[in-house]
Amino acid sequence: MTKRPTLFSLILSMPLLLWQLLFFLFPLLFLVAISFWTVRNFQMQPDLNFGNWERVLTRGVFWDAYFRTMILATAAAAITSIIAFPASYAISFKMSEKAKRWMIFILIIPFFTSYLVRVYSLQVFLSDAGIVNAAFGYLGLGPFPMLNNAFGIIVGMITLTLPLVILLQTFSLNFVNRDLIEAAHNLRCGRLRTVFAVIVPSAKVGLVIAALFAFILSFGDFVSPLYLGGGNPPTLSIMITDFTKSGQQWPRAAVVAIMMIITLLTAAFAAITYAYKERGR
Amino acid sequence: MEANAQMEQHSEAIVTFDNVVKRFGDFTAVEKAHFEIGRGEFLAIMGSSGCGKTTTLRMLAGLEDPTEGAIYLDGEKVNGKATWDRDTPMVWQSLALFPFLTVQENVEFALKMRGVGKEERRQRAEKWLEKMQITEFANRNINQLSGGQKQRVALARALVTEPKILLLDEPLSALDAHLKVRMQAVLSNLQKDLGITFVYVTHSMSEAFSMADRVVIMSRGQIEQIGTPEEIYREPYNRFVAEFLGSANIFDGVVQGPAGADGWQVAYEGGETILPKSELPDGRQGQKVTFIVSAENMQLSLPDSGQPGIEASVAGEEFIGGTAMVFLETAGGQELKVQKSHDELSLLNLHAGSKVVVHWESGSCHVLPGENK
Ligand SMILES: Nc1ncnc2c1ncn2[C@@H]1O[C@H](COP(=O)(O)OP(=O)(O)OP(=O)(O)O)[C@@H](O)[C@H]1O
Ligand SMILES: [Mg+2]
Repeated sequence: MTKRPTLFSLILSMPLLLWQLLFFLFPLLFLVAISFWTVRNFQMQPDLNFGNWERVLTRGVFWDAYFRTMILATAAAAITSIIAFPASYAISFKMSEKAKRWMIFILIIPFFTSYLVRVYSLQVFLSDAGIVNAAFGYLGLGPFPMLNNAFGIIVGMITLTLPLVILLQTFSLNFVNRDLIEAAHNLRCGRLRTVFAVIVPSAKVGLVIAALFAFILSFGDFVSPLYLGGGNPPTLSIMITDFTKSGQQWPRAAVVAIMMIITLLTAAFAAITYAYKERGR
Repeated sequence: MEANAQMEQHSEAIVTFDNVVKRFGDFTAVEKAHFEIGRGEFLAIMGSSGCGKTTTLRMLAGLEDPTEGAIYLDGEKVNGKATWDRDTPMVWQSLALFPFLTVQENVEFALKMRGVGKEERRQRAEKWLEKMQITEFANRNINQLSGGQKQRVALARALVTEPKILLLDEPLSALDAHLKVRMQAVLSNLQKDLGITFVYVTHSMSEAFSMADRVVIMSRGQIEQIGTPEEIYREPYNRFVAEFLGSANIFDGVVQGPAGADGWQVAYEGGETILPKSELPDGRQGQKVTFIVSAENMQLSLPDSGQPGIEASVAGEEFIGGTAMVFLETAGGQELKVQKSHDELSLLNLHAGSKVVVHWESGSCHVLPGENK
């Protein structure tokens, strides 16, 4: 079904459009402009120089970082979604209304504290002499390297996105029509099978959007790759800071940033299209 | 023991409710439901909102477990048996079709859950799509169907496994009046063709009375009466049923004494009448008796005709097809209804406030057994 937007709906969405124009589109255009500038003697000069694009996109280092970031963010989004689902399911289907409210409150608390602080505390947990490895030590295992590698990065990304993903999943599960679940049971679909045959497809839009958020936040994350991943080999966000630090290469940083934005836009578009795709003619 | 022996005698029953009680916390939703449903019967459960119709149906489907008593399905006690282990498909008021599946996939769902192979699934689903005349929508999305089409999908989905019993919870309530009548015919014919048992919950008297073999009337968790539509209409058991049907005038009277060989003289507020002895075999003087006279058995005369009866004035009129319901108010404040043909009414030339005399033949009085125990 396609609907033409009415004048009224356009007026209502004006503030949103203005905000997006002012704080997203204009900076983006500026970023695009910068990516063609030239740096001479640590000074940026307006130019129409395709060299920045060429230098970045033809380098193996960039593509290595690109795919590393992609894989890390995808893995983090997938793992977070999978870990979050049983919790969201329990909150939405098994808890009383009162317990639900408390859980939602508890899930919001992490947002009160800075992500940076939480990542620092994770360092204490994950280091070779940290609590987790101490526990393994008791069992005669380890120490396992959990910092300065992909494991550390993904743990950090999960920490960043898990509460949000559970919240989004819980809200979408709350909207699953309970009659559909009973109807499935009534038609011989057992409990576990109903989860996959009815609940997941019913909540698909919310679940996909939750995973998308996890991907977006993880893809652009700078803190976990730096403090838990050690910053080397770099992810795209670390590459951006590296460019700006080494020789004021803001134009090349802009190229990386634009590539990230294009990737995220594509991912968001694909995810939303998939989420809303309907079966049948 | 005795109850069990009795249950076994009725092996023709596909469903037996044996003193079933359902409580939610302190609240009793169904109180001592005790009845049987015959094989191949079309049973309607009727009653006002919140009286426990859906709860009764859900207990049968295995979606709710009885607090007390036992439910037998096909001779087997099914208390505690999950809905997915019973063959009691249900049609929901909301229809509960899966919006993320196509029409055909919805119909195939139950077969898939039973592990029926792909090809057989398709064939059996197609047969039902055809039967319900929705073949052309097989690949459509559920949201692109009209109310009546959705209805047919829901029926096909529930019937595709060829169950012995089908449960329906107000399936037509979302349809407009015209479509309702058409779907009633579809349901009625379907039940006759298949010869399976339908248990049909509704709060609409016209639906229940036009389709069902027997009707269960419930109020506040209690079953007030079970019987054929004819029985219930002619002989409502108690005041609730009579009021619920809405077409009878209820009178509270006191027996004055015998009237001839086969009648009782009964006085009520506003007049006296004769009750046939057959209606009140062991009556005695001074006994209170509640009786009804149905609206269509009431006669109207003008005051100057000299006809004895209750004096009343016209309060309003309502047209029902070829007849009209005239609402009257007596001097004592009681409301009466009289159903008459338009021709008969036009002779009386009534308008709001007109004075009339209401009377009836003594044979048209019916004593409510439930009120005179
Ligand atoms: N899960 C439940 N918990 C508590 N009370 C319930 C529950 N289900 C039903 N009830 C109560 O039991 C009573 C009967 O409910 P039921 O749904 O059987 O009514 P109904 O006859 O189907 O009414 P309607 O015509 O409105 O559908 C109602 O008062 C309802 O509030
Ligand atoms: Mg109901």
